[in-house]
Amino acid sequence: MSASPAAISLEAVGKSYADTVALAPLSLEVGRGERVAVLGPSGSGKTTLLHLVAGVVRPDGGTVTLSGHDLAGLRPGRELAALVGVIHQQLDLVPHLPVVHNVLAGRLGEWGLWRSLLSLVSARDRGLAVAAVERVGIADKLYERTSRLSGGEQQRVALARLLVQRPGIVVADEPVASLDPTRGDDIVRLLTGIVAESGNTLIASLHSVDLARRYFTRAIGLRDGRLRFDVAMNELEVGTLRRLYDLE
Amino acid sequence: MARSADSTISNSRLLGLNPGLLGGKGLLTVLMAGAFLWSLTAVAWREPVLHPGGLGSLAEILRAAVTPEMSPSFLALTLESAWTTVAYAVAGICLAAPLGLVLGAAASGVLFRSRGLAVPAVAGLRFLLGVMRAIHELVWAWLFVAALGLSPMAAILALAVPYGGILGRIFADILNDVPEEPLTALRASGASELKVLLYGRLPMALPDMLGYGFYRLECAIRAVAIMGFVGVGGLGLQVQLSFDDLLYREVWTLLYAIIGLVALVDAWSSWVRRSLVT
Repeated sequence: MSASPAAISLEAVGKSYADTVALAPLSLEVGRGERVAVLGPSGSGKTTLLHLVAGVVRPDGGTVTLSGHDLAGLRPGRELAALVGVIHQQLDLVPHLPVVHNVLAGRLGEWGLWRSLLSLVSARDRGLAVAAVERVGIADKLYERTSRLSGGEQQRVALARLLVQRPGIVVADEPVASLDPTRGDDIVRLLTGIVAESGNTLIASLHSVDLARRYFTRAIGLRDGRLRFDVAMNELEVGTLRRLYDLE
Repeated sequence: MARSADSTISNSRLLGLNPGLLGGKGLLTVLMAGAFLWSLTAVAWREPVLHPGGLGSLAEILRAAVTPEMSPSFLALTLESAWTTVAYAVAGICLAAPLGLVLGAAASGVLFRSRGLAVPAVAGLRFLLGVMRAIHELVWAWLFVAALGLSPMAAILALAVPYGGILGRIFADILNDVPEEPLTALRASGASELKVLLYGRLPMALPDMLGYGFYRLECAIRAVAIMGFVGVGGLGLQVQLSFDDLLYREVWTLLYAIIGLVALVDAWSSWVRRSLVT
């Protein structure tokens, strides 16, 4: 272990809503460069876990530390955006804007208000946007209205936005839930490739165990808000999975 | 525990009231029927209900509808008046729209992060918008004429204030109703609430806001048409003059011009919206 702090560190972090426990307090450490797949049936607390890591939801107790920074002490906005980026299903783009503005939205944490406003008229940091859409394979769509793109292309726009935002940690909540298997595979390969080539850290919830096995280094199993297993991907056994999804 | 027991009791009480409400409905029916019967005593049955010469005038007016005044000089006057009407309406909306946008964005409460500040500010701004639109544009016209004299500015302001109130209220609702997921993503990218407004709420709300703005432009054209008395020229003033002279054929020419203007605005509106949505 090196002296540099873990990318993600949870200590006794839990979350309840009214009477239901979304996530029982758990502790977890993810090193820089790891790619963690969060598995489990619907309602098992995967999204809650990811939201806690992304700072979207505040924990009831415990501490979330990202690259050595206590999340509770970070102001939402710029500081948080530099540490962690989020990708969801494709719902999270603004469909009415051209692709270029959705991509450059990754710069909003860095830009001042004036620059943000000006960019809507004439795109700022255009070179960044061009490089990002080239990397994700939609260079010809830069000025297209986002709503006209297919589901897979829209997810590529979201990836391009992450490229522009350049966070050290990427949180992906069911990034390919609404895509067919082939496109899903393409997007996950792209996502894990982008994260890996900059040595960054990825934590993603997935439906597909196949995708998890192919592109991730570590697997976490959640069920009923509790941690069931936490193993290196090559140690993940079929029996463990069957118990997680209750197929016995 | 005690609280939930209380609410159960009050719920059952409410349920118990239901048959009583039905009885109340019956009572209401009797009251309204009584009011109707009583209103009949207000009619002077000895005299004809309709004005005797009225039917004749009505026929004359309807005949004029198919033979509007088409002389070149009157058409030129109509065109010029239509232009004036449009100019006032557009000027009024051009003031009302930014007013409504700024007040509406503030009154929607989306820019406030802390609830402690948001609740009183939103309540205050919503009240201000309410005052602006509670008073009719004709009443505002009186006020502004009293302050500024008979001037075009008075008419434009009289239009801009209540329409700014209406647009502000509607814009606030539209800005509140956009889908939340893209906004969450923008916040995750480090955007402040003002930037979320610029990059998320406004682009998503724009088609609806424009559509409603255009609808209000139609309303503004009708409103200007009855503001003739404030010293605003335009179609309204001409309608009034022609009516006073009983020149029904001229009145119809002017009315057709108003109908045409509204249809034009409608066509313009759907053209702009189409180019925005697709």
